[in-house]
Amino acid sequence: MKVLRWQIVIALLVTFPMAATAQPDVGDVLIRNGTLLTVTNGTLENTDLLIRKGKITAIGKNLTAPEGCRVIDATGLFVMPGIIDAHSHIALEAINEMSSPLTPEVRMCDALNPLDISIYRALAGGVTTIQTLHGSANAIGGQSVVMKLRYGTLNPTELIFEGAPRGIKFALGENPTRVHGAGHNMVPRTRMGVEFVIRSALTEAREYQKKWDEYNEQKMKRGFRGAPPEYDDRLETLAEILRGNIIVHCHSYRADEIVMIMKVCRDFGIKKLVLQHANEGFKVAPEIAAFGAMASVFSDAWAYKFEVYYSTAYNAAILTRNGVLTSINSDDPGVIRHLYHEASKTLKYGGLSRDEALALITINPAKQLGIDNRVGSLEVGKDGDVAIFRGHPLSIYTVPVMTIVDGIVRFDREKDPDDMRIYVDPEERFDQSGFEVPEGYHDCLGTATETFHQLFESH
Amino acid sequence: MRRFVANTIWIAVGALLVFTTAVAQDQELAPVSDTYAIRNVTIFPSPGRRIEKGTIIIRNGLIDGVGENVPIPPTAIIIEGDSLFAYAAFIEGLSKTGVKTPGEDDHSRIEDPGNPPPHRAGINPQRDVRDYLDPNDPNIKELRCAGFGASQVVPRGILLPGSAAVILLGGKTPDEMVLKPRSACYSELTSNKTVYPSTVMAVLAKWRELYHQAELARDYAAIYATNATGLPRPETNRTLEAFYPVTTRQQPVLFRASKVLDVQRVLALQKELGFVLILGDVSEGWDITDMIKASGARVFLSLDIPEDPEEKKKSKKDSLENAELKALTKRRSEFIQKMTAQAAAFDSAGIKFGFSALDTKYSDLHKNLRSMVEAGLNPDAALAALTINAAEILGIDDRLGTIEKGKIANVALFSKPIFDKDAKVMTVFVDGALYTCTEKDAHKKTASTVEGTWRMTAQTPKEEIELKVVLRKSVGKHYSGTITGTRMPEGIELTDVTLDGKTLKFMYDVLLEGKPQEVVVEGDVEGKTFKGKITVGEYGNYPIEGTKDPER
Amino acid sequence: MNRFVLLVNAFLLLFVIPGEAQVPKGSYGPVALVGATAHTITDGIIENCTIILRDGKIEAIGSNVSAPADVRVIDCKGLHVYPGFIDGGTRLGLTEIGSEPRTLDYNEVGNVVPQMRALTAVNPNSALIPVTRVNGVTTVLAAPSGGMLSGTAALINLHGYTPDQMYAGFEGVVLTFPSTSREGPNDKRKPEEISKAAAKAMKKLNEVWQKAIEYNKLDSALGDNKPDYYPELIALQPVIQGTMPLIIEVNGAGDILSALEWVREKEIARVILSGVREGWRVAGKIAEAGIPVITGKVLTLPDRAYDRYDRAYANPGLMRKAGVTVALRTNEAYNVRNLPYNAGVAAAHGLGKEEALRAITIVPAQIFGVADRLGSLETGKDATLFVCDGDPLEPATNIKYLFIKGWDIPLVSRQTLLYDEFLHREPGLQTHD
Repeated sequence: MKVLRWQIVIALLVTFPMAATAQPDVGDVLIRNGTLLTVTNGTLENTDLLIRKGKITAIGKNLTAPEGCRVIDATGLFVMPGIIDAHSHIALEAINEMSSPLTPEVRMCDALNPLDISIYRALAGGVTTIQTLHGSANAIGGQSVVMKLRYGTLNPTELIFEGAPRGIKFALGENPTRVHGAGHNMVPRTRMGVEFVIRSALTEAREYQKKWDEYNEQKMKRGFRGAPPEYDDRLETLAEILRGNIIVHCHSYRADEIVMIMKVCRDFGIKKLVLQHANEGFKVAPEIAAFGAMASVFSDAWAYKFEVYYSTAYNAAILTRNGVLTSINSDDPGVIRHLYHEASKTLKYGGLSRDEALALITINPAKQLGIDNRVGSLEVGKDGDVAIFRGHPLSIYTVPVMTIVDGIVRFDREKDPDDMRIYVDPEERFDQSGFEVPEGYHDCLGTATETFHQLFESH
Repeated sequence: MRRFVANTIWIAVGALLVFTTAVAQDQELAPVSDTYAIRNVTIFPSPGRRIEKGTIIIRNGLIDGVGENVPIPPTAIIIEGDSLFAYAAFIEGLSKTGVKTPGEDDHSRIEDPGNPPPHRAGINPQRDVRDYLDPNDPNIKELRCAGFGASQVVPRGILLPGSAAVILLGGKTPDEMVLKPRSACYSELTSNKTVYPSTVMAVLAKWRELYHQAELARDYAAIYATNATGLPRPETNRTLEAFYPVTTRQQPVLFRASKVLDVQRVLALQKELGFVLILGDVSEGWDITDMIKASGARVFLSLDIPEDPEEKKKSKKDSLENAELKALTKRRSEFIQKMTAQAAAFDSAGIKFGFSALDTKYSDLHKNLRSMVEAGLNPDAALAALTINAAEILGIDDRLGTIEKGKIANVALFSKPIFDKDAKVMTVFVDGALYTCTEKDAHKKTASTVEGTWRMTAQTPKEEIELKVVLRKSVGKHYSGTITGTRMPEGIELTDVTLDGKTLKFMYDVLLEGKPQEVVVEGDVEGKTFKGKITVGEYGNYPIEGTKDPER
Repeated sequence: MNRFVLLVNAFLLLFVIPGEAQVPKGSYGPVALVGATAHTITDGIIENCTIILRDGKIEAIGSNVSAPADVRVIDCKGLHVYPGFIDGGTRLGLTEIGSEPRTLDYNEVGNVVPQMRALTAVNPNSALIPVTRVNGVTTVLAAPSGGMLSGTAALINLHGYTPDQMYAGFEGVVLTFPSTSREGPNDKRKPEEISKAAAKAMKKLNEVWQKAIEYNKLDSALGDNKPDYYPELIALQPVIQGTMPLIIEVNGAGDILSALEWVREKEIARVILSGVREGWRVAGKIAEAGIPVITGKVLTLPDRAYDRYDRAYANPGLMRKAGVTVALRTNEAYNVRNLPYNAGVAAAHGLGKEEALRAITIVPAQIFGVADRLGSLETGKDATLFVCDGDPLEPATNIKYLFIKGWDIPLVSRQTLLYDEFLHREPGLQTHD
């Protein structure tokens, strides 16, 4: 019996993702005489920033560089916190476990690919931290990974942002209904089905939780002999959501489904909700603000599906003005490289201020991911994650020149060679070029639908 | 999906009677005596030791004596070894040679891809490779004639296809071959792309769940076994039962993981769950030797090394600047060099390892081993990996791995020391039985002619399909030909037949479901045998083998 | 409810138009833009400039031009005037919602269908059009794609109620050159298979071209007696005769070289290369051939994993430096409005601000043979221009006025209307229960 109890404990413990025991490499850098865009504390001209052992230890004028510290002359350059993309799918070998509409038990950390060249290319766009997610094929998808772009390592665990709160992907609307309903005649085929699938999953999880709590209590009693309930990793993970240990990142577009998911969360006591994309979030901004959900949106993507046909590029501004904490994300390996440009569009679409625009890609996504104590602004004590630009990042003419993660320069426009692959393909040919990622591919599903249909046509 | 594919292959490729005896071993007369004496032979009983002009006595399937002056029993058949070099026959750590594809009887439509029947999802740890052994697999002979005497074989299939067994590469029945049953629980990170789990993260999630469920079931079964009164009856679940010895660490998991990320995924899984791990077919391990060493996992390295194509000619359509092309080619060569030097890196790191030839063409094995030695692998370390280290990892070192009195008589006789360029395997003893590989005077290079009638068999997941291919000589390197099968009795003209060295390739077009598909058959010709792959459009590729009818 | 409230509501309704309604219509009449900084493109920058728009044309432009009495005056002090931006390749008007096939009109069945005219299929009332023009893009090439000879593209202005009203004076046949590159992320074919398919397509192309040449000979020989109806070849005649350009969509470096060779071999008089993502690899050869290039979008990924990360941004600049004539395109439908930002990024990565501006104004106008009416602020050209409060390549800049052929287009789109309605939604948060 004692043995059994340990099994349960272990079973419960291992639903947590692999703790990154690998200590990340950290470095020392003194950035001298730049214009610091701190985000939380205004703009500081001709100011130095010192990073030691990967942490910002000083911000001020005329700082001295400790022995052996690398010095970067940022005269005439702009220094901002490393950009954070709260919605990406890079660095993953697979994105969608499409066989079932409910797959919360899968963990994206198992599919991490530190060799993905997209990581380097994102660094070249000033990005230092991302959340890489399961795709949007499923009503409840897998658990995401918050990671830093420590490009150069072969070890996936070294990418993981130590101590970041857990996250999981939900998806509403056209994607899950197309993949499961239309694709294989499985619930959900309509938005009615999407709500049902989520509610019933959470209800089952509640009952599963109750059964195990009962069993664990009974086990303590003298003379207890009984069979344990079935162990189900899927329900285990859902129970963790109910316990408040996992942030729900819900891919959603239409106003009605946004309201629906907030109702569901309220009914099940789930408080940590970030609406992803939320193209029609602006239509229910008061409701979102009242619930306390946050939103991570596109700058101006629309019309590639019906549920985004009635969108507006003013979305981020409207949400912000109505009290919803908003970030701008990429959901695309190309767009991630110019998030600073995407954020600048809010200067036009809604007239956000420069600091508000910068917050959309720094401190706001940091808060949404629960890591704002570590990143998202230039403050003493935070991580040494910095992006240096020639030209203000919100100007179209800006060029990122250097990106620093944990005090280590991981992108250097002057010095980096063209070919930045870590491993190469031994059977590669060099006379063949690639392809352009088609429009709409950034939608977490992209061409996955075609592949799925090919596979299932024969059934 | 698989049923659909298999059916269409059937239609496309057709069937015809094949001379199965052509594929099986030649009928041999039983040997006169079971005692052999190999004399005046240079013996390498174990890595680092060498006996000049020694004698090996084999009797009753065992080594009865080995040394410089060993008395030869009168009943012994003498084998003159004065130009030969004797090694303990090699041991392969992860192989599918000698294993038939399990025939899938169930092709019914899967209603709910999220909850498929376990066997369709590849969850079959309860299967036993012994049920699929095929002593007549011609690859056994080929492997033997590369110097191997034993291997750990695993069932074919995805994810968890069943338990492995160590077999000797000789014997007329499956049971005769088996040396150690249930040597490991075999697993791969492959999946059925149409049902759960289909992606790598789902595969690992499923693995974890099965493991935990097995632990719980095992514990409850133990409680129930001591006193069942008043307790609900546990369900029998053979899948989970197959996992019990893994959870108690009595049976290791042999996990195939080739690339650097997959190896790390498997190591992370092992760290989390605690099972005993043997990594198989590792090809990108040189940068993570520390991690592997710390885990205590045992390793079988891949014997496969990719070709390094020298881009001598720049085609006029090639738009890469010379400097860029040079840099890219250099990086690729350096990477291939790292792959070649992998074994040396493991040796330097002090990790004991064996080898697996799972994906390697057997005709490349010796070339690859030589390359590894040239890249820095100590020859003795190479020999140890092929013999005693592999035996130790498999737990059979009391019986195999060296040429020692009392051990099983698995001996390979080479024409030259093994890492010599011209070394050939002349004769192999497996379990004390003699197998000839190379005729003494078969040094002339006869140009292999491919004209004639070939009887071929393609192995699809469902069944074997038989074909007849008639090839005629055409112009230069080109041939022409027709292919027939029961579903295409009129014969289809081959569109493109080429013979490049010993590589034969031909193609033809078929209509599948109204869409034209190209079928490509490519493989190696060795005298009258053919072995290669048949690729049907976008449906994938399958092994195909054949033999040529004797000329009239 | 009292009458006053009713009146107020009615009044408000005039302004708060539901998102589905059409945007307000443009107004026509002579206009004087006074005191602006005019970026003429072809004749430098004119400070304190006055521009007179009349009868759909620029009647006068200069710092000493005065506004006539009968003309509506717009005070442009502190503002800037630019010619309307031209996007050299889009699916605008031919696409409404990407996932709904019935709204996609750019890819017709068939591999050789040059007779499919994009102009016929343009939807003048697409919701995407107002969204595009409010950012200063006034003119786009609506191009078919798919197959080999995809159809005939047309240049359209983004104003008009019928396609003919929108037509801006240029059509060109689109050829997607046989490609030896992978088509997309799910293209798992081996390089040999891809080469084979390209060779097959090349063979087909040459067959078609040969037939087109023969048909043209036949047609001229028969004079008034027309040969049999052969629509594909009829559509190619203007290209063979040299009166209509062939727009060749080609991207891989090796493929670009093949295309240049093919064009030379077939002696095609007027050619435009489109796409040209790896143009930077063979820029010298393109410049030698003297063929203009429309490339984009700029904000995209490089083709090969070992390419320098910013190749796509630097592509236009690298080609320009080698002497290639470069125009830009977005190759989009939904966000053609981002054309100026593509130009800005290209400017920052080697093209330079001036050339970048030219690449979306006078250069495409010249390439499409409509430089007599579009692409710069010159007397006699169309009054197709906009007024803004800064550098239009900068996202922070706002467009204040937009004119297409003299029509003053309200800067209203579905997206601005949604902003108006929802910035402060009425009713706001209402809790029932």
